[in-house]
Amino acid sequence: MLTLLLFALIIAALVIALTYKIQNENQLRSQVSSLKKSLSDMDEQAKLIVRTDIELNKIEEELDKKISGLYALQSLSRMISMTLEEDQIFRRIQPEHLKELGFEKAFGFLWDDKGKRFVLRFSIGYPGEAIKSIESFFNENKERCMNFITSDKTLSSISASNNLITLQQLNEIFKINSFIICPLAPQQNNRGLIFVGTQNLETTVTEGDEELIKILSTQLAQALENARLFEKTWNAQQELEKKVTERTRELTLALEEVKKISDNKTNFVSSVSHELRTPLTSIKGYAAILLTGKLGDLPPEVRQRLEKINRHSDELVHMVNELLDISRIESGRVTMRTEVCDLKEITAKVEDLLSGQLKERKLSFIVEIDPEANAVLADRTQLERVFINLVGNAMKFTPPDGSITIKSHKMDKMAGISVVDTGCGIAEEAHDSIFDEFYRVDNTINQEVKGTGLGLALVKHIVEAHGGKIWVESSPGSGANFSFTLPIPA
Amino acid sequence: MFSQLSLWLTLFFKVFIIQPMRVGIGVSTELDHLKAVKEAVEEAIIQIKTDNIDFALLFTTEEFSHSLVLQTTADLIGQIPLLGSSSPIIISKNGPLKHGVVLVLFKLNEGAYFNAACIKDITINNTLSSGEELGGKLLYGCKNVHRDLGMIFSNINTGEYSSLVTGIQEKLGRGFPLVGASLPKRIDHAENHLYFGPEILNNAVCGVLWGGKLNFGLGIEHGWQPLGKPRYATRTQVDTVNEIDGLPAVNLYKEYFGKETLELNRELKRISVFYPLGIAVSENKEYLLRSVISIKNDGSLLFRGEVPEGSMVRLMISSKDSCLAAAAKAAKTALDNARGKKIKFALVLNSLSRYALLGRQAAQEIRIVRETLGSDVPFAGIYTSAEQAPLNSANYNLGKTYFHNNSIAILTITE
Repeated sequence: MLTLLLFALIIAALVIALTYKIQNENQLRSQVSSLKKSLSDMDEQAKLIVRTDIELNKIEEELDKKISGLYALQSLSRMISMTLEEDQIFRRIQPEHLKELGFEKAFGFLWDDKGKRFVLRFSIGYPGEAIKSIESFFNENKERCMNFITSDKTLSSISASNNLITLQQLNEIFKINSFIICPLAPQQNNRGLIFVGTQNLETTVTEGDEELIKILSTQLAQALENARLFEKTWNAQQELEKKVTERTRELTLALEEVKKISDNKTNFVSSVSHELRTPLTSIKGYAAILLTGKLGDLPPEVRQRLEKINRHSDELVHMVNELLDISRIESGRVTMRTEVCDLKEITAKVEDLLSGQLKERKLSFIVEIDPEANAVLADRTQLERVFINLVGNAMKFTPPDGSITIKSHKMDKMAGISVVDTGCGIAEEAHDSIFDEFYRVDNTINQEVKGTGLGLALVKHIVEAHGGKIWVESSPGSGANFSFTLPIPA
Repeated sequence: MFSQLSLWLTLFFKVFIIQPMRVGIGVSTELDHLKAVKEAVEEAIIQIKTDNIDFALLFTTEEFSHSLVLQTTADLIGQIPLLGSSSPIIISKNGPLKHGVVLVLFKLNEGAYFNAACIKDITINNTLSSGEELGGKLLYGCKNVHRDLGMIFSNINTGEYSSLVTGIQEKLGRGFPLVGASLPKRIDHAENHLYFGPEILNNAVCGVLWGGKLNFGLGIEHGWQPLGKPRYATRTQVDTVNEIDGLPAVNLYKEYFGKETLELNRELKRISVFYPLGIAVSENKEYLLRSVISIKNDGSLLFRGEVPEGSMVRLMISSKDSCLAAAAKAAKTALDNARGKKIKFALVLNSLSRYALLGRQAAQEIRIVRETLGSDVPFAGIYTSAEQAPLNSANYNLGKTYFHNNSIAILTITE
């Protein structure tokens, strides 16, 4: 009985243990299953990670490549843009630039319009024989190549169709596995193409690569155009400089000729004036003798004519003298004997000299001399002539009750002297010519009043011989202001 | 001429020197090849301050005229033992150089030894024996001295890199540390060249065995992390993985990328760089990376390096930040392994895949190495297609040498 009970207890214990073990095993199985599921889930997640990662890597790789390419392109562009010589532009492309862009072979051709052929401008990574055969290929297929250039479309191992030439043929000719070929400057002047390629089987050309090479070709084209324009500008400048030199030489010769003519004129005027003075003196002398009546009474008509002869002879003598003075000053035969002159004193003398005429014409004579511009360095006699001429002129053109004012003021190291009248004034178009010899302003007064047209010319010569300048400010109806400068003693 | 070449191939260099170790590094980026070499030599000589040079490491970018480079170097520094290579990108203290020359001159200290040797004409059939032959040559004459580390450079056109390392270690010891680089192919798919003395070699392996009073510190990292569930390489043949979890190996990539084989082939370069396969090693503490080279018609995958059958494999993923952090960690480990001694020189072997992944931040990786090692530590190196070194998790003095992909290996030399 006891044994039976013991046996039953053992059985019960075993059943409990077995039940516990089964429960435990079920639990473990469930955990393993759960872990397996987790592992499986994680593996699925890993697949997602890998797929996303490879895409990201691709993008990053492309971006890296583009950035490196852009750096290389930037450095190349900088060097190209600084070059203004066609040959030097192509020489700037170095193997390391190509390497950065992902290629190791390159060449460039330009179309020679005269020779009607493609001319090699640079090559990298090709031995002499290989590049010669490539040059032959381009020149044997001129028409196709020109069509390609004018199409302005980039061709590469990813975009090329087999219409023109198969990729395999291109690979054989250019000894590459991937390539990009890009038209260069489809303008008339610099048509050509550039080619880059690589033998590396693992390199795949991308659209990004195509864009970079397109930029490079545009830069090259721009640099070539700049070089061409520079050459053109340079040649034009050289031509211009040549022309300027030639024209300067012609002008110098002309000036010398003018000087010679002017000298001749001065000499001629001087000689003629001298020659005129002798007979004039005789005419005037005989006329004067006749007028005295020492040779008999003269009928009134004859006396009248003789007086006319005498008066005209005086005018002629005056004109001849002025002409002689001008020619002397022009030729430098007259030396200005400069001394310190007192303007107040000189103007007083002039006023005294002309007081009769001033009174007769009812003109007031005003002198406004700045004490600081009273003393001037001048030839006293010549300065008096300047004032007499200018005041005389003013009197001629100022109507009665008008005024003539002489002013002076200091202008740095010069004295500015003006003779201002309230006369009829001078039209602006006559300002430039008024100081020319024999020039007379076309107005009613000049038509009535006689004059030689030499007075202002003489004044100008005298002022300039003193190192001064003379000019006029006037307009019709508002009087005239003749201003000139003379040096002030230090 | 023949006798001179034979002499070079079998020569070993035992150096007994009284002065302390000196290193001079010359760098030039001159476009003119001759000028570049002259400039680099002059700078290195100025730095080393002696004409009595024991050994030279020379790295150039691939476009250089290699015979001209070697001839000019020999004319300027004499016929001294020289090892080196060309590569698409070389490493200077200022960053990666796509065009340039880096010359490192060594004047070793008292009691330092080295022996340089090379093996040419390596084919798929003689990789193991070539490794053994190189090991034997390196060992010859260094039998009675303490040997520290072997440095190897190879440009063999075969997948059996592991056999080569195995062969070398058969002679030098299974746990003997080797640090080395496999050169990447050139842009035109030709081989990059190895330099051994005056010779330019292809399908060859060159090495130098260091011994005596020298200490080495290594740091190697990749920065890739496992992703997805673990799988097993159920059928493999050296560097070809036929099946993973009993299915064609390509299915793993098809499944993860959601692409068919044709599309995968188109993106193979990117996949190879960014998503290598990771082999769990050292009790799953580390992952050795294997980049896919090609997809075979039967769905097998050819990897850069051996994948042992039955190994646990996982798809690996990385980011720029993770890569940069790994470079910092490798430099820190190398620095720590120098045990506070003044680092005379650091050799940096960096994977080209990392350069591709980092893109414009590749220079930052070198800057991080410089900052971590210390701005006064001279270093130079090359970008590689694969790196050989022990694992970080094992003590490198005892650890087996592994074949790495996508890694940065930094080797410091102290006295």
